[in-house]
This record gives sequence, structure tokens and C-alpha cells, in this order.
Amino acid sequence: MKYMIMLYGSQQDYDVQAGKQNDKPSWSAEDIRKMVEHMTSINKDLAESGELVDAQGLAAPALTRRVQFKDGAPVVTDGPYAETTEVIAGFWIVDVSGIDRATEIAARVTLCPGPGGTIGEPSPVDIRPIGEAPSPDDV
Amino acid sequence: MPSTDFEDLLRRSAPQVLGALVRRYGHFDTAEDAVQEALLAAATQWPSEGLPANPLGWLITVASRRLTDLLRSQQARERREDAVARQVPGGDLLAPAADRQESDGDDTLIVLFLCCHPSLTPASQIALTLRAVGGLGTTEIARAFLVPEQTMTRRITRAKQRIKDSGLPFRMPSAPDRADRLAAVLHVLYLIFTEGYASTSGPDLRRPELSVEAIRLTRMLRALLPQDGEVTGLLALMLLTDARRLARTGDDGELVPMAEQDRNRWDADQIAEGVALISEVLPRGEAGPYQLQAAIAAVHDEAASAAETDWAQITALYKVLLRMADNPVVSLNHAVAVAMSEGPSAGLELLERIERDGALTDHRPLAVRAHLMEMSGKPDAAREAYLAAAERALSLPQRRYLFGKAARLT
Repeated sequence: MKYMIMLYGSQQDYDVQAGKQNDKPSWSAEDIRKMVEHMTSINKDLAESGELVDAQGLAAPALTRRVQFKDGAPVVTDGPYAETTEVIAGFWIVDVSGIDRATEIAARVTLCPGPGGTIGEPSPVDIRPIGEAPSPDDV
Repeated sequence: MPSTDFEDLLRRSAPQVLGALVRRYGHFDTAEDAVQEALLAAATQWPSEGLPANPLGWLITVASRRLTDLLRSQQARERREDAVARQVPGGDLLAPAADRQESDGDDTLIVLFLCCHPSLTPASQIALTLRAVGGLGTTEIARAFLVPEQTMTRRITRAKQRIKDSGLPFRMPSAPDRADRLAAVLHVLYLIFTEGYASTSGPDLRRPELSVEAIRLTRMLRALLPQDGEVTGLLALMLLTDARRLARTGDDGELVPMAEQDRNRWDADQIAEGVALISEVLPRGEAGPYQLQAAIAAVHDEAASAAETDWAQITALYKVLLRMADNPVVSLNHAVAVAMSEGPSAGLELLERIERDGALTDHRPLAVRAHLMEMSGKPDAAREAYLAAAERALSLPQRRYLFGKAARLT
């Protein structure tokens, strides 16, 4: 069974991590390294167990471009998230035995170290099954 | 014999065994499976039973037997004669004349050309090259590219099927085709190298192995084509670039720009080898893009400190490179070199042209603008440009570097 494990973050979270001035506790380069290590070790274990399909971190929400079709023409806008502050920051696609195993992996994702090595209040992680449509690989 | 020597021997033998099999029996796809199985048998048997007297002969014999088995079972399934009659031109059904001169070395080269077949996507070319020429197992390749083994197996299987369907005979491409195909081979080797070198998106220990493998394969290609200036140029470029790898990241994994790198951490042996290679081919004339980029890397690597870099020479080399390939990244690098050799205002003038052109929409022109403004003693304009560049940068290390630069100017 394939699942998508989704991680969230706001533009502010991205800015704080990147060292842009902010009122939240700022991330040191060492903090960042620990976070990357955490993610990399998950990827490595999932690749080794054969459960990893893909894992990507997304760039800052401000770099988003939204394309909508209105009045017969595509309308393009920047930074579309007027109503939402938290958007997907990264995802894993895993091919695992079932939702319980996916939950185990998601739980490990949430244990990501934050500024100063603390595991504070991590934002929630969602798990969603992937529909079994035929992939181009199987054709 | 230590296991790494076994591994070396196996990997060197892989393309030669495959070449021998395909020359004798055809069937690139099935032969490739047979070779993988022979390599596996050798890897398990040799360490305990000792090295056979003629390892290459042993591998060819075992692989041939396996290929015969595989072909027999295939024949039972399909009407092979029909397929052969459709796919193989008449002359290729005959055994080559005994006096036809072809060395094992040429076979390796032909296998390399086949793997970089134009009908394949670059991703498939890379996978097939690493497996058939590099002798890497599917598991290792899948790990290096962080995809499941199943996906990599399917990718390799499809690539082999495509080569089979193309009906391409196992021989050197004709002279006019050869230059095109060699360019594709060099490009694939360079992609394998950069995949290992530029993995700034997530530090992964497996990636540097890809750079090492690309260097090994390019070395092999150079042994086969010692007269080709671009092959030597590419090898020099890889060695001179890879020599700086350890100094490129700081203790916390942050990016360290070349001007601030600890040059004691550069690999002196690799630099010496790269400089010797590029010095050997450049005087032959008609330098191609890989040679020019290697020459630029050599000028950087030979400077005792960032301040002593011979920017005038780098500028001249970029000028030649620009005439060869009108590439916006090369234009940007050229503008930086001009700024360093003739002063920031000359560089800014070129930069404005690049910005008007609009081909580069990422953070790079802004980052260059920021540096040049800083050089001109305009901290406010520099700060603004650093911030704008940081907003546009995609990778976290780049964003942190640029925000840090802006913060230092306030």
C-alpha cells in the first residue's frame, strides 16, 4: 500500500529557519544540521527497507504560483494562500505493509529536533493513502 | 587478495565480458543479465575458492553458459527465427572474419556508446551506464538515486528493451555518428559526476561515491581515447572540481564560497593531476567546452589565495567559452570574472544586459548584483539585493548564506 506522509510549515517557519529576523527562536546552523540529519536518517532507513518511493522538501510558500481558469483564460497569481497560513512543507511517499507502519514512520518524522535541540510542539503530520491508479511504469 | 581488489577486478572486467558476449551472440539485453549473474557468481566464489588462472576467461565462460541457458528458455517461448530475420541485417548473421581487429578495449567503448543510446532518457542512460559499464548492482544504483530498487529495475529493463527494439548492431557507430554519441557519453559521465558533487539539497553520504565512479569511468574512457581532447578535458574538470569538495562545506554543513575556503583542505594530488592533464591537451588547439571549464578550474585551484586568483586569465577563458555556447550561466560567470579583473562597474554593466535578457529568473543574478554592489561600496543596495536573492533561492543553505550576508550589512 502506498501512502503520502505530509508535513506542514508556514512562510514564517521557512523564514526563521533561513535566518531571516523574526520574533520566534531562531535556528542555528547546528540546529539545521540536526534537522537535516534527522530527515536523512529516515530516508536512508526507508531506502534500505525498500519502503521509500520518494521524499521531497518543498521550497518556501512565497515562491508558489497559482494558476486558475477564469472567464475562459488562465489567471496566474503569486502566493495564493490568503486563507491558510500552513501549507505542505514536504512529503514522503512510502510503499509499506499498511497504515500502521505508515503511522510509525510519521511518528518518527514528528520527533524532529528544533532550535537548540529541543523537540517542541511539532506541527501535525498527515497520512493519506494513494489511489491505486496504474502508473506509467506499469504500462 | 583483499575484497576491494576483487571488486576492482570485477568492475574492470564487467564491460569487457559484456562486450565479448554481445559481439559473439548479440542480444544486448539478455547478455547483460547473464553478465550480472556471472559477476555475482565470481563475487561469492572467488573470495573462498581463490582467483581462477584467467579471471576474464572464467567470467566470459560462465556468462556465456548462462546466456545460452537464458536464450534457450526464451526460444521455447517465442519464435526466435522470425525476430532475428526482422532485426538483424544479413551480414551480421555471419561470424566476423578471424583477422578483423578489435581489442577488448574497443568492446568497452562500444558498450559505453550503446548505454548512451539517443533513444534513452538521460536518467536511463545514467542507470544503464552505471550497471553495464560501471558494474554496479541495481541495488547500489537505486540507493544512490534514492529510488526503490523495483523502480530502478524497471527503468533498466525498459532501457535494455529500447536498445533491443532499435535493432542497433553491436559495433562502433559510423564516423559522423561517433562525434554525436561521444558528446552524449561525456554528458552522461558529467551528469553522474554532478549528481554526486552538487547534492546540496540533502547531505547524503552515498552521493560522493557517484563522483568517484564518474571519475573512474572517465579515466577508463580516456585510456580508450587518449587522443580526444574533450575526454581529457572532462577528466581534468572533474578532478579539479572534486579536489575542492572537502572545503566546500563548513562544520555545520553550511556552504563555504570559494573565496573563503581553507585551501589546505583542497586535494593537492588531484589538482596536480588535473593541471597536468589540461596543460597537455590545451596546446593542441581547438579547445572544447570541457577543456575550457577545466582550464578555468585550474586557474582557481592554482592560486595560493583567493586574492591571488588570476582573474584576467579567467575572464579571457570565459570569453572563449561564451563564443562557443551562448549560455546565460556562462554569461553570468563571465560578468563576475570581469568585475574581479576590471572592477565592479564593468561587471555591473554586463550584469544589466543579462538581467534585461531575462533568461535567468532565479536568485543567481540578484546574488551577483549584491556582491558587486558590496564591492562598489554601496551597502544599502547590496543588502536589498541580498534579501531579494534570498527570497528567491530554493535551497536552505543558499537562503541562510544570503540572509546572513544581508544581516552583516545592517
